[in-house]
Amino acid sequence: MESLYLLIPIALVFCVIAIRLLLWAIGSGQYDDLDKEAWRILADDDEDTPARDKPPVTRQRSDDDHA
Amino acid sequence: MNAITETRPAQTTAACFHCGEAIPDGCNIGIEIDGEQRYMCCPGCKAVASLINGSGLGGFYRRRTAFNERPLAGTVPASPDATAAFHIYDDAELAATFSETDAQHMTHARILIGGISCAACTWLIEQHLERIQGVSAATVNLQQSRLLVAFDNRQLRMSDIFFQLEALGYRPRPFAHGARREQLGAEFRDDLRRLAVAGIGMMQVGMFAIALHAGEIQGMQAEYAGLLRWVSLPVAAVVVLYSARSFFSTAWRHLTHGKLVMDLPVAVAIGLAFLASVWATVSNSGQVYFDSVVMFTFFLLLGRFLEKRARSKHTEAWLDAEDELPGAVTVARGKGWETLPRIRLVAGDKLLIRNGDTVPVDAQIVQGQSAVREDTFSGEHLPRAVTEGDTVYAGTVNLEANLQAVALGTYRDTRLAALRKSAEIGSAAKPRLARLADQVAAWFVAGILLAASATAIAWLQIDPERALWVTLSVLVISCPCALALATPAALTSAAASLRALGILVRTEDALEALPRTTHMLFDKTGTLTEGHLEVAQVIPLSTLSETGILALGAALQIHASHPVASAFAHYPTAGEPFDSVSYRVGAGLQGQRGATRYRMGSTAFCHAIAPTLPEPPDDDRLWIALCSDDQALAWIGLDDPLREEAQAVIATVRDNLDLQVELLTGDSSPRGPRLAAALGMAVHRHGLSPQEKMQRVRSLQATGARVCMVGDGLNDAPVLALADTSFAVSGATDLARTQADFVITDGGLQRVLQAFDVARRCRGIIRQNLAWALGYNLCAIPVAAAGLVPPWMAALGMSLSSLLVVLNSLRLNKPKQALQNSPGGGPLWKVSTS
Repeated sequence: MESLYLLIPIALVFCVIAIRLLLWAIGSGQYDDLDKEAWRILADDDEDTPARDKPPVTRQRSDDDHA
Repeated sequence: MNAITETRPAQTTAACFHCGEAIPDGCNIGIEIDGEQRYMCCPGCKAVASLINGSGLGGFYRRRTAFNERPLAGTVPASPDATAAFHIYDDAELAATFSETDAQHMTHARILIGGISCAACTWLIEQHLERIQGVSAATVNLQQSRLLVAFDNRQLRMSDIFFQLEALGYRPRPFAHGARREQLGAEFRDDLRRLAVAGIGMMQVGMFAIALHAGEIQGMQAEYAGLLRWVSLPVAAVVVLYSARSFFSTAWRHLTHGKLVMDLPVAVAIGLAFLASVWATVSNSGQVYFDSVVMFTFFLLLGRFLEKRARSKHTEAWLDAEDELPGAVTVARGKGWETLPRIRLVAGDKLLIRNGDTVPVDAQIVQGQSAVREDTFSGEHLPRAVTEGDTVYAGTVNLEANLQAVALGTYRDTRLAALRKSAEIGSAAKPRLARLADQVAAWFVAGILLAASATAIAWLQIDPERALWVTLSVLVISCPCALALATPAALTSAAASLRALGILVRTEDALEALPRTTHMLFDKTGTLTEGHLEVAQVIPLSTLSETGILALGAALQIHASHPVASAFAHYPTAGEPFDSVSYRVGAGLQGQRGATRYRMGSTAFCHAIAPTLPEPPDDDRLWIALCSDDQALAWIGLDDPLREEAQAVIATVRDNLDLQVELLTGDSSPRGPRLAAALGMAVHRHGLSPQEKMQRVRSLQATGARVCMVGDGLNDAPVLALADTSFAVSGATDLARTQADFVITDGGLQRVLQAFDVARRCRGIIRQNLAWALGYNLCAIPVAAAGLVPPWMAALGMSLSSLLVVLNSLRLNKPKQALQNSPGGGPLWKVSTS
């Protein structure tokens, strides 16, 4: 049972690391949008997204609007 | 992700593939997407769908869970340079209000996006933007409908981003930094941090507590028990000092104002249980309650976090009245016209207000005549004719012809800003409801302190050594966890159930206040009525049939954009189209078919070519004459029809809910009183200004009445803010929505009845919860006072009691009856994850 004197402090160190990590993640905005991330994990991104080698989109002029 | 289940196959032929609206008869536009021909309802939808499909993002349609919004471009005749208006955002000074540029020429912009209907929209926007050369990152925040985009300003201009977003069918708008928004974001992160620390702390302390409780039952060496207590202490201390700090500060703040709130017993319980446990650890005696303290903190924080999130998710706090105004204005500078940001306007600037535009600022007309629609301002359902010298107000819509006008001031000086100010005053004067839970809390705290002192005195007589520990156990077991959760759990659950019905709850206090309503006040235009003109009656004056008359009318009106024209929009046209159609402001339309001249409009205008035209019937309808050369053809009566459910809803409110029903209208025509009589409502006065409306509500409140207001217009906003509870009906103006307690997003007036029903059930549940929480304490306190409760039993009892309260509240989420008419905007497409 003496091992408790070693194991419990180790557990506490891990606990502190976990809290620091979580606080860092929150602070850097990773948890700001809880709705989208929940959905995005289910969407396969590469399935139908073409490669990003398209030509630059031509700049729109004000006189070609379709409205 | 590829399998698609179509829940309504019959709809696909009739509903637009993009926006889900019905495809009008004879409309045959569509494109091929993913190998199948899809049909759209308008060129706007088609343009957006082809852009999405053409850029290889057709997968969007498989991912989405709700239809898109119908793009405005195809439906509303926009002013000639509606999109040119985006160029104002290239102005460095204006751009600086919502973006920053760093040394590497990267501009980081914040853009608010209207029309995001589901998570797939965020995917579409991000994918589309990130593939544009020059854009380095695009992130959409779904919770706030906000886009953060970073782009190279040597390759792209700010307006390009706006054009791209508009082309996708969304409505971009700069997201200016507001103090309130900043604060909300900071609060969200703070809450999450507190919750995270409490959660991890709870797991740690819980682990030690299980060992302690098990050790107590099985027998454990005092040395190890002491160790476990000593390691629990610092973890619990972090949670109490960091996570639970808000309870202490709130309780203290209210206490200094002489108020006892729910947070006080919470703070007392946390503080005392923690201090007692610290003393027990240091003196190696008594019992420790670290696990209870930490668990209690975590669950309370979790409950509040979820409640806050549910509320802020749909909150429209960032809708500003000012946002309804156009961002760009056309101003005379030197010899020509220039497009400028509206915020640059100063008094005396000469503006061009185009036909169809929203008036950007209060202004006096110097040239031109037209009509402005002011229904949201005044409740008048007919447009007001204006000419040189008249004043037009910001927020109203110019309907007929271009106007030149001189700005009378800036936004601050407008009538719209004044209305907004009255709304703020009304909101400050709104009667605050003493929450049931807070009323109970005051008694509860007093009762517990009394019970604790009685216990202490009694045990000092019996066994002075145990007096301290027994008294503490009374304080801990009476922990108000269930009591603190009783109200928020029920309110959150009720709000969730209302949201599913299409009602957003903006202030949860209103849910408690709603069942106490005694008077229900309704606005007329747009609330009880549909808010637009429809053909109500046709009086033929020749051999032409009613259908023939309407077809003729529709063929002429197709050339106009006046609200009268929209009344004819859904009638089929017949015969050959008209030639050389001209519009005379304030009079009517004239068109040529072969050699015959046709006119449609006012009496005088038609009388000029058809002298036989009789006088129109004398009632409050808007009568339009139709005639051809020398022949009167018909009188067509237009009316703003009642919502079809209005009659039944008013009857139910009056008879079943037993409330006083009153009409509060700004329309000064006799239509108001007539309509009220037909519906069996009282009318105090009609033609009321917003101030008079507020006065009426104040005088009712002074007699002790609890007023519920239902409205939609800008002029209703102050009353909505002032009334004890208020509803903004679907299609209400933004200002009204920001002031109402309940916002109906989908469906008609019957939603008001459903809200009443849910609020009543919610009140019942709150009472049950409070009764249970108090009953539990009444039973537990005597047992604890007798010195019979070990800590593990106190922790268990507390958790079970809280769980019961939460489960009871969840019953509100179960709809009592199957919903008749399910929300129309619901997902018709379901993406299965096979």
